[in-house]
Amino acid sequence: MTRITLSRALNEGLRRALEADEKVMIMGEDVGRLGGVFRVTDGLQKDFGEHRVVDTPLAESGIIGTAIGLALRGYRPVCEIQFDGFVYPATDQIVSQLAKMRSRSRGRVALPVVIRIPFGGGIGAVEHHSESPEIFFAHTAGLRVVACADPADAFAMIQLAIAGEDPVIFFEPKRRYWDKAEVDLTAPPSDALPLDKARVVQPGDDVTLLSYGPLVRTCLEAAIAAREDGKSIEVIDLRSLSPLDMETITASVARTGRCVVTHEAPVYGGLGGEIAARVTEQCFYHLEAPVLRVGGFAVPYPPARTEDHYLPDLDRILDAVDRTFTY
Amino acid sequence: MRKEFRLPDVGEGLTEADIVSWHVKPGDTVTINQIIVDIETAKAVVELPSPYAGTVSALLVDAGQTVDVGTPIIAVEVPGADDGPTEQEPARQEPETAEDAPQDTPPARQPVLVGYGVKPGSTSRRPRKKPPTRPGSYPATPSMPGAGGGQGAGPASPPRPPFPSGIQLPPGVPAPPRAPSAGQTRSRALAKPPVRRLARDLGVDLGGLAGTGPEGLVTREDVERAADAVTAAPGHGPQAGAAAQAAPGPAAEERIPVRGVRKHTAAAMVASAFTAPHVTEFLQVDVTETMAATRRARELPEFAGIKVSPLLFVAKALLIAAGRHPMINSSWDEAAREIVVKRPVNLGIAVAAERGLIVPNVKGADALPLAGLARAIDELAATARAGKATPADLAGGTITITNVGVFGVDTGTPILMPGEAAILAFGMVRDMPWVVAGELAVRKVTTLSLSFDHRIVDGELGSAVLRDVGSMLEDPVRMLAWS
Amino acid sequence: MAIPPYGHHEKEWHLTAETIQLLTPEGERVDHPEYPLDGADVRGMYRDMVLVRRIDSEAIALQRQGELGLWASLLGQEAAQIGSARALSPKDMAFPSYREHGVAWCRGLDPLRLLEMFRGVTHGAWDPEEHKFHLYTIVIGDQTLHATGYAMGIQRDGGEDEAVIAYFGDGATSQGDVSEAFAWASVFNAPLVFFCQNNQFAISAPPERQSRVPIYQRAAGFGFPGIRVDGNDVLACYAVTRQALRAVREGEGPVLIEAYTYRMGAHTTTDDATRYRLASELEAWRLRDPIERVRSYLARTGEADGAFFEQVAAEADELAVKLRADCLALPDPPPLALFDHVYAGHNAVLDAERAQYAAYLAGFEEKGAGR
Repeated sequence: MTRITLSRALNEGLRRALEADEKVMIMGEDVGRLGGVFRVTDGLQKDFGEHRVVDTPLAESGIIGTAIGLALRGYRPVCEIQFDGFVYPATDQIVSQLAKMRSRSRGRVALPVVIRIPFGGGIGAVEHHSESPEIFFAHTAGLRVVACADPADAFAMIQLAIAGEDPVIFFEPKRRYWDKAEVDLTAPPSDALPLDKARVVQPGDDVTLLSYGPLVRTCLEAAIAAREDGKSIEVIDLRSLSPLDMETITASVARTGRCVVTHEAPVYGGLGGEIAARVTEQCFYHLEAPVLRVGGFAVPYPPARTEDHYLPDLDRILDAVDRTFTY
Repeated sequence: MRKEFRLPDVGEGLTEADIVSWHVKPGDTVTINQIIVDIETAKAVVELPSPYAGTVSALLVDAGQTVDVGTPIIAVEVPGADDGPTEQEPARQEPETAEDAPQDTPPARQPVLVGYGVKPGSTSRRPRKKPPTRPGSYPATPSMPGAGGGQGAGPASPPRPPFPSGIQLPPGVPAPPRAPSAGQTRSRALAKPPVRRLARDLGVDLGGLAGTGPEGLVTREDVERAADAVTAAPGHGPQAGAAAQAAPGPAAEERIPVRGVRKHTAAAMVASAFTAPHVTEFLQVDVTETMAATRRARELPEFAGIKVSPLLFVAKALLIAAGRHPMINSSWDEAAREIVVKRPVNLGIAVAAERGLIVPNVKGADALPLAGLARAIDELAATARAGKATPADLAGGTITITNVGVFGVDTGTPILMPGEAAILAFGMVRDMPWVVAGELAVRKVTTLSLSFDHRIVDGELGSAVLRDVGSMLEDPVRMLAWS
Repeated sequence: MAIPPYGHHEKEWHLTAETIQLLTPEGERVDHPEYPLDGADVRGMYRDMVLVRRIDSEAIALQRQGELGLWASLLGQEAAQIGSARALSPKDMAFPSYREHGVAWCRGLDPLRLLEMFRGVTHGAWDPEEHKFHLYTIVIGDQTLHATGYAMGIQRDGGEDEAVIAYFGDGATSQGDVSEAFAWASVFNAPLVFFCQNNQFAISAPPERQSRVPIYQRAAGFGFPGIRVDGNDVLACYAVTRQALRAVREGEGPVLIEAYTYRMGAHTTTDDATRYRLASELEAWRLRDPIERVRSYLARTGEADGAFFEQVAAEADELAVKLRADCLALPDPPPLALFDHVYAGHNAVLDAERAQYAAYLAGFEEKGAGR
């Protein structure tokens, strides 16, 4: 076991993937010589060469479009979009082409492309660097969308994503890049929880708290605080945003009878709504209260000085938990 | 074989076209793709090529006509076998609408043409074999796989990483003990949200109920039945609870769980007492005339079969007083910072049921004639005592009266019902020495106590109401004068 | 303000020194020193063009008869497509837009696959590697990036005799993705021919609305050669494309070919070109028909006789009859097929949807009521 950051865990996972299959490639802006603005690809170009770890032109649509071409040729590109807010120019290639080509060809074309996107706020950044665009891609059939939350899981998840045959949008919580934890770097990804499953990271009895990415840690902190109120919160890291692991979610809510979903993305039209609808439909008779959601407001992401009012924090999450007990 | 060519949709959803000019006439020979007609759509003039080779037998629409997409426009006699479809006809499923079916003549069946644009609407449903099921619900019974578990993964699920799974806790915070994990199922009742609410209102604990609905669902009837059973069977209720729990032999103390009605009453009282500033005023009243009126009313046919008591006249007096002083029939809305004066008077009557004190109310009591009021009060009290008061009975009250005389006391300081501005209590009717026309006499006397919400009702108003009630009870004829 | 007006104004089409032509509209051979013509199978090119034109006209008829929802005609562009496609080696990979039925023909793709797409039975489903012909891409310009990536892949796995050709139109050159493809292909020196069929229309928009300079000159800004060829001259298209592919294979980087041609039909069967096209312009281009000039040449030089032309015409008729029959016989996909091939792996949410829809369909009384 080694104690490493999330950024480093991803780096190690990428390294394993590059070692395991010579068709794996990494491409993105500043990923090679610089090692990525978050150092996630640090050292990889030196070891695997500039034709496998490619510094691309500054063109997001170009990154994804050429990755598709490379995948058609048999490669397994792992693209990096430097920041969440810069994925939008690539949206056409992702939605119109990457997501659809397997279906369009009736299964004859496989595009095993992984698109890594650092996402979320809480880093005091300027505009466009704190977005949570995951719902656009979760809403797009043909894509798998996942989000890692901690170093050990990230190490496994990135390898699983690269090894799969489907295109994967892989969200990385940028404000957690420097969180450290113990990671077993020898663990084979085949031993890990499959990519389409959610994980109960903290068992509990009184209410089910669902999240992903940067807020998983906040939920765990909230669970600790809630113990003082005499409440036992079950925290689940969704991991897979599309498809959702409804089996794990409903098993939990059936037991607790209460559910709160939290994400940085705006509540309006966010993944919490999809989860609430499904939980209501599938756990109707078990529910003591409606599913509540805590997330961003229906406003563009605010400037750094006010972002703390926008981002769900421990108090807002526990406020929602309290409200589930008022019904 | 006769084949008909139906007007196709020639451009992404067009629904009709005009026939501009025919290039052929009946009797002409046509080849495949020979231009037979010009049509004009909303977008353009388009030449239509014949899909058949043969002889034109009929032009089915005239030049100048506007034709819906799907209408046969030309019939062509195609040489070939007359039995069954030609090799040009595909043997495939055709997505026909219900409207298409009657038009087909079986031997000359037209292949349905695609690209017909917007499907015509329909106002009838396709008949179903069986009603829809409820798919995708979480399995209800604990014996089903995955029920009650926390992981949801199959037998091959990998071990969970140690908590906090890579999260660095703030320093000094110990890791929490593991909560009871998968396998330990909490017994939770299944019920729809409205039924849960009903149970709460009636003070029924869902957990102990066996549901009679599908998959063990607790139904509304189950809850109501449980609520009745609580009051009907002897030995139930808080007193019974106490008896059941009393250990054999002397115990240092007895603990009675606060449940059900008692729990809710207590909560309501606390809410009321510590939110509204209560002021109580007292008035002793000579109710001799009211008692006489009560006796006389009992003899009237209008009151046959109805329980008539002084309560009826106190109620009527309060209703009339509320009509004279509408502000007494109101509520304090903290959130909106408004006093809400209510129009109908929903008169609450405090009833001592076995389960505890409950206060159902007579809706629109102020509009009822005396006999109607008597009947309403009578029925409501009986229902409440039997434990059958519905949530509707219990909600919406605007002012309350309570008879503390049945407990053998003179008066009290009643606590307001939450959301109301006033409550009137009256005590025992006693024979008391009284001064009548300057002389001592023995009269029937009772004490009225009116508590009111001092945010809404000031001393002047409260006193005026109390005085009015008292006056009417002294001389019931005043009720007639003031109503 | 000085905004240039919109529309096709009478302009003199003239052969500039920069437009490569090897066969005049009258069918006379012209030599160009840089583009020798050796081993050109002119009779084969003629036959291909006639058959492709016939497939195209049959498809239009089928659409007018309601058998196809839509068809995008290549009428007038046969030379650009047949000429360039015949220059490809079997290992080269072609990335079309959605009008390259001539290239599809040369690559050996059954035209029925194209009809399936425009009939709505598929979205255009075939195995790109089987015929080295990628799926049709309807989003304008996207395929140029796919072609670039594919070429970058060739660079990595040492396919030295492999090249890529990307087809797109004049309208596409305004799309950002095409500029990005030019940028990437040039900075990475990718083995890729960009083949732009400038057919003078992006639906109704003229090339002047897409570019201030002739399209072939755009390559200069990205640092690679651009050549304009007479797009109605099958010999020139063949020779120039072959030359470009040679350069590309030798590692010289991308080349842009602008085939200056004309879209004789409408944008698609739902378009009414009379609203924006000058009738006189159509007439002028009829005189430059790509097939006519080859026929004249073959007849004049004696390389083909009447029997040959009749035989090709008969072949075209037969092909049309077969295509028509095959098209009419295409079965609709079964309802539950819409859930197939969305993911490689298992997706529990989609599986549940499929099961629910199957149960819903089974709940109706009529057996086999396909909806």
